[in-house]
Amino acid sequence: MSIDNWLEQLRRGSLDLAILLTASAGPRYGLAIIQHLEAFTDLVVTEGTIYPILGRLTREGLLEARWVDDEAPHPRKYYRLTPRGVRRLGEMKVEWKGLTDKIDRLMAAAEESKE
Amino acid sequence: MNLSATGESRVNGYLFVLERSLKTFLPADTVRDAVREIESHLRDRVVAADAAPNERQALERILAELGPPLRVAQAYSAERIIDEAVATGRLLPTTRAIWHMATTTAMGALIATGLFSGYAAGFSFLIIAVMKPIFPNNVGLIVVDGLPRAFGAEFPVPPNAVIYGGYWIIPISIACGLAVLALVHRATRQFLMRWRERRRLHAVTVETDR
Repeated sequence: MSIDNWLEQLRRGSLDLAILLTASAGPRYGLAIIQHLEAFTDLVVTEGTIYPILGRLTREGLLEARWVDDEAPHPRKYYRLTPRGVRRLGEMKVEWKGLTDKIDRLMAAAEESKE
Repeated sequence: MNLSATGESRVNGYLFVLERSLKTFLPADTVRDAVREIESHLRDRVVAADAAPNERQALERILAELGPPLRVAQAYSAERIIDEAVATGRLLPTTRAIWHMATTTAMGALIATGLFSGYAAGFSFLIIAVMKPIFPNNVGLIVVDGLPRAFGAEFPVPPNAVIYGGYWIIPISIACGLAVLALVHRATRQFLMRWRERRRLHAVTVETDR
């Protein structure tokens, strides 16, 4: 596997977590979620394919979707975390931190053994 | 940027193709919701865009960032259809998911052929059970010239063929049919679950640099 493929898979795998984190700050519509990801991460997604993911997370009960008709000249669909989404996000954060800590320790051990 | 009639027509054309593509796989209410959301995205992008160097190029840039309608539709379909099949296990969503898989990739087509064959085998046993009381002399183990040729039905029975099996084949056929269907259906759901995980990794294109 090339470094590009590895990096791409790593980023794809973390996208659910990134979206849930983005939604945890408060209700956001699809484009706002994309813009938030662009502003705070380098997870720049192809825009049209984030909506099916938002739909899946909604069907899984992690997000709640609601159309707002009177905020802009056109309706916008807002997403917010459900209580189940909050719990799942908590679990994902713990797992993520655990994993990165372990990798950090491995990297430190590898560096030490070199010296 | 305010769209001219030509720009509006281009946006409507995009949404039309998206809607037509989604209708192939998804229920009407899901399609309406998806198209409405993509239209909302486009309207937001258009409002915020600069019409530089001209409206046409600005609009094409927005549509390119969104992705081709067929690709967007495919991402919707993959997420939705396979989810529904895995979650409910119902025959119709499962059939749709297998069909989607078969029409998406060559490997999917190969596996779908195997799964459909499995379902066909299961239903064949059940059909034998139904046909036996109606055509008792045509349904059973067909032996031609002392060699078993098939387990099923022959119309008409060949002159040198003997049909073995009384009404006892009905419960056996039902049991075999249900067992085969249960096994194939279970295998299908497990495969779709794995396929879904794989699709999740590939459904979204994450670009390192844009």
